[in-house]
Amino acid sequence: MEVIKNPVKRAGEQTLGQLYNTGKVRKRREWRGIKDTFYDYTRWLYLVSVLARFIAVPRNIKGFFRYRWMANYLGVMHGMDKFTIGLRDEALRITHISMNYVIADVTQAIANCFRGDRRVGNDVEYSKRCVLTDENSMTCFMMGFDKDETPAILREVPTMFAANIFNQNSTTHYLDVAQQYGIAGDVCPMPEAEAGISIEDDFCVLGACAVQNNTTCDGSLMGNGIIAKRLEREYGIPTFQLGTPLRHTEDDVQDYAAQEIKNAIAFIEEHTGHKWNWDTYFKCAKRVNDATRKRIAQLEINSSPYPQFVGACFSLYNDTNYMGNCGRNEGFVKKDEKLLKLAEKGYKNKRMLAPEYRHRAIIWGVQPQYTIDMLYWLIQCWGIVPLADMLSLVNTKMIAEEDTPENREQAYYDMAMLNEEMIMRNHTHGGYKVLVDELWETCEKMHADMVIMWEHMSCKALTGMHGQFEEQARERGLHLIWVGHDLCDPRVYTREAIRNQVNLYMRAVLREEPLDPSIEHLPDDNAW
Amino acid sequence: MSKVLKILLKIFLCVFGLFAVTFLIYFFNLDMKATSMIEPFLIKHYDNMERKYYL
Repeated sequence: MEVIKNPVKRAGEQTLGQLYNTGKVRKRREWRGIKDTFYDYTRWLYLVSVLARFIAVPRNIKGFFRYRWMANYLGVMHGMDKFTIGLRDEALRITHISMNYVIADVTQAIANCFRGDRRVGNDVEYSKRCVLTDENSMTCFMMGFDKDETPAILREVPTMFAANIFNQNSTTHYLDVAQQYGIAGDVCPMPEAEAGISIEDDFCVLGACAVQNNTTCDGSLMGNGIIAKRLEREYGIPTFQLGTPLRHTEDDVQDYAAQEIKNAIAFIEEHTGHKWNWDTYFKCAKRVNDATRKRIAQLEINSSPYPQFVGACFSLYNDTNYMGNCGRNEGFVKKDEKLLKLAEKGYKNKRMLAPEYRHRAIIWGVQPQYTIDMLYWLIQCWGIVPLADMLSLVNTKMIAEEDTPENREQAYYDMAMLNEEMIMRNHTHGGYKVLVDELWETCEKMHADMVIMWEHMSCKALTGMHGQFEEQARERGLHLIWVGHDLCDPRVYTREAIRNQVNLYMRAVLREEPLDPSIEHLPDDNAW
Repeated sequence: MSKVLKILLKIFLCVFGLFAVTFLIYFFNLDMKATSMIEPFLIKHYDNMERKYYL
């Protein structure tokens, strides 16, 4: 591709390597010029206020000392700093607005967990209204229940997933626990860590019932079995298994998928005593469509020469909005609007995130980019712009949003479709077309010349297609960089080992020099 | 100096002092440096807790 040079010199720090040392956290924060440093400082103050309000509640302090995974939240600000390296202007604001909202949402999720938890808050009345759901679950089956009357508690999000954003070592203890109990070390560390948390009895215990699904892989099924056993047999929390068809693009499985949604709703009604409300559902459906439209608009901007909302925060924000809340949180509508306005402004002003854009990349495969600042590093170190990642390329279809008798029946199919098209599942399940063909279609749509192909060594879903990806990328003249990792187990692949695979490709194959040589190698293997 | 001006000056000094302290904490990453020192003690605390292991 043609190299695009940024005509505007970046304010403040020019080389970013000086911020890193061998410790857990950085030497200091980045100087971004007066305006952007002050903005970053005000957002830091805001996060301090969010955390202060959380810890001011006595039961949250009790929870903090009860649950090991809470220690990872000591690194919230560090996690935020990881996602803002080198950013200025609109991109800095977009990252803060989206990630700050995610952090506030996770903080609320922890507070909700502690409120109902039998060991901490023990609010029995509240707990009886709650429905536990999987971390990697599309919560569309909750769209017809009022979010305050029947809260959905994604208890694995704060316990495992979000904790790993702030501390790369957050899961290692739980992986050891799981492996001591005989679980193999070569399954995905995400469900394995969740299994370890359950074995060690380190999950909050609450809820009238739970809904698990055959999320995205065999590892998830392994973890769900152990977790469901403890929930049902020890804590008496009935658990529903929501089965989603693997061949989710085929017409002949849709009746089954819709029936499974009906069954899940009936199960929740039975155990909470709350009734499904179509008015609530269609309000949520409108918000889901709104979020879909805004996400498509953001991706359109990213397909232009001046992408704006990129990196791990794009994916994390979409996860939280689309999958975790699924239209039940009105706050996302305003945030979506704000983010789109900022992206449009950045595009209009031709703002760039780095001094130079050399390559436009699609990020594909099972990604560990939450735990490291890899995507921002790609931009700042090599001028590779991550346009979109596989997990953000979810449903683009609109669902029925008017309350009519026909649409009430259609709604079950829409929820089934959302569930089938959820993050991970829509590309890792469903066969060759969704995993391989759609990658090339995305590259074409977004004018990418490069694919960063995450190769998660414990994930079997993509392994079979390795040769196909290589052969077809070569045919299309695309640079395909394989980047091996072991998701949230940094003992197998360190951050430096992960980044070095890109360094080697860029130097040996493309014969390029880094934009910022000070960050080509970073001493951050011990960092949170 | 009038009483009002004195009060305004005091408010300004307080706000500026607060800004100076928090900005120093922010810029030199003192918040994260402090929490990273707390972490080992917390881990020890969690290690010493009684657990009910169960598969």
